[in-house]
Amino acid sequence: MTPRLAKGIFWIGTLSSLVVFLAMTVHTHRSFDALTHADALDARVVEGKRAFERHNCNDCHTILGFGAYYAPDLTRAHARLGEDGIRRRLEAPEVLFADSYRKMPQQHLSPREIEDLVVFLGWVSNIENHDWPPQDSPNRWKRSTERILAGAAMSPAAALVKQESCLECHAIGGTGGGAGPRLEWIGGRRDAEWVARYLANPGAVFPGSRMPAYPNLSEGQRLMIGEFVVGLAASGRTP
Amino acid sequence: MTATVYRSQRIAYWYFALALVLFALQIVVGLWIALQYVVTIPQGVVDVFPFSTARAMHTNLLVLWLLLGFMGATFYLVPEEAGTELAWPRLAVVQLVVLAATGVTALVGFFFGWTQGRPLLEIPTELDFVVVAAALAFLANVGVTLQRARRWNAVQGTLLGGLVFLAAMYLFGMPFYRNLAVDWYYWWWVVHLWVEGAWELITAAMAAFMLLKLTGVDRRVVEKWLYVELGLFLFTGIAGTGHHYYWLGAPRAWLWIGGAFSALEPLPILLMVWDTWRAAKDKPGALQPRLTWVYVGGMAILHFVGAGLFGFAHTLPQINYYTHGSQVTVSHGHLAFYGAYALLNLSFFYFAIPRIKGLPGGRYDERAGHWGFWLTSLGVVGMSLAFAVAGVLQTYLERVRGEPFMIAQQPMRFWMLIVFLHGLVVLAGVLTTVTHLLTLRPERVAEVVPIDAGGAAPRAAGTA
Repeated sequence: MTPRLAKGIFWIGTLSSLVVFLAMTVHTHRSFDALTHADALDARVVEGKRAFERHNCNDCHTILGFGAYYAPDLTRAHARLGEDGIRRRLEAPEVLFADSYRKMPQQHLSPREIEDLVVFLGWVSNIENHDWPPQDSPNRWKRSTERILAGAAMSPAAALVKQESCLECHAIGGTGGGAGPRLEWIGGRRDAEWVARYLANPGAVFPGSRMPAYPNLSEGQRLMIGEFVVGLAASGRTP
Repeated sequence: MTATVYRSQRIAYWYFALALVLFALQIVVGLWIALQYVVTIPQGVVDVFPFSTARAMHTNLLVLWLLLGFMGATFYLVPEEAGTELAWPRLAVVQLVVLAATGVTALVGFFFGWTQGRPLLEIPTELDFVVVAAALAFLANVGVTLQRARRWNAVQGTLLGGLVFLAAMYLFGMPFYRNLAVDWYYWWWVVHLWVEGAWELITAAMAAFMLLKLTGVDRRVVEKWLYVELGLFLFTGIAGTGHHYYWLGAPRAWLWIGGAFSALEPLPILLMVWDTWRAAKDKPGALQPRLTWVYVGGMAILHFVGAGLFGFAHTLPQINYYTHGSQVTVSHGHLAFYGAYALLNLSFFYFAIPRIKGLPGGRYDERAGHWGFWLTSLGVVGMSLAFAVAGVLQTYLERVRGEPFMIAQQPMRFWMLIVFLHGLVVLAGVLTTVTHLLTLRPERVAEVVPIDAGGAAPRAAGTA
């Protein structure tokens, strides 16, 4: 290879790549308005972006996948958490993450800043970025969501048992807590109506019972749980 | 050439010394960051000193110490290449003081929430202007020196080109952008075009200069390969910026262009590895001191693995869709910065400091230096592998299975503990290296390490 050829490789390589890059930059700028819905980018959004930067949010969270990896990505936070979810996290992170092994700092945001951030994240969540991130993509339905839906479709009562966290205290098979009796044992002594009555107010049946009442459930839901629990028993009711 | 010829070259020492202190500080902050992934930090501590502040410190210390190293190396290299003293040696000292003061102000400012709030570019706009002023003084100093000497060659041209490129790209990080997507588009003009553009030019010039001085090979041969390597680096690197544009709201064509150009990025690094190997093989008698070659070899290998292979592993859009913004990126980032830039700077320090100190033959008692190299390098490699495992877990659990973020993070905590433990090894290595470099002593004749196959391994546990 001659020095002349080497110089040629340098200039051709550099300039050709630069031409592609600059041409694509022009093309990208022409596309940004449509892809980011720039017509919705108003002063509130800009104020939200300023608040986002003022509090250095991006050095814990990623947004569009960029930033630090300590906390969840915020690209679709607006869709994932909803506006109230965002507000609650910004207002009182020390309460919301009291039980979490990772904390979010309480930065004493003003109500105005919180609303600006909600608007900003709302605008960001509409950026058309080829459906990233996968975990928040409605087109790529979460596997975990699929499993819950499949369970609920088979047995609405099982979904209720999960929703009310019955397995925190009771066990079924190998999973669940030990504070209350195993659910398989109930059906040997009680019927579904009794379980439904007990759920409404345990203290009325057994004074001093440590089990919480479930008045939030409808009578029909309590009965469904009763039938589910009784159905778990190995043998029928013994007199 | 085993001693400095020009007085103004000695200014480089103070740049190197400050860079080394900041390097050690960067690792200490890094350990604190890793710990926050492993154990629960109480709310009271998080409110005062959140992860975000520590992260801003960690990354800015990295950038500052690497740039100070580049600047010091420039002040060392330019007088010798141009055959004249620096145009304004005192300006170089003032520049160092200004940059050091800016750095300290920025770090203290982060603690009190004074920040631009954009990752890696957290330095507030007011301080940005100070940095720009210092950079202009630097470019003027170097440019005028080279222009007065009028002995232009490829090494000088590459260096000056890289420095101007670096300074110009910094400007794109300064304005406030209304649109988040546009913001990130130009953020990468700073970050990507630095590390895969301007910095490659600067470090290639530094490496070429070292190889010329160490091996005495024909300058025309070195310069010829310099042109080819840089042509490939810039060909793949400039349009390769597109691998950061997949998911920020830019047109779909970037998936093709970014993917194709960045898939070729390992090639110039491979050429550089081959080039280094050839230089070492052709001049076996020149492999002294041994430690310099341990560093040059380590740099070639880890640059290729960290930047080339780890980068290639997740640069294609089909893979990047799942790994983007996960600990996979962190794994690549740590090994690439260490292999490509930290080791290059340290190699140059080991080349220049003995000469500035006038140690006979550019030789020194190098035992502690070997410990420093191996502890740091093995620590960083282990750390990057642990990050990679955490990253694969995150990719599978969060991105593929759709588990909530904090559920996916739970099994990663063990691997962040492994990162932390390797971080301790890195800290031990870096402290050894920094102490060694700042207290280099002449080699004692009785302790000359024989140049045999096992010569690279340290024979004594003593630290300098």
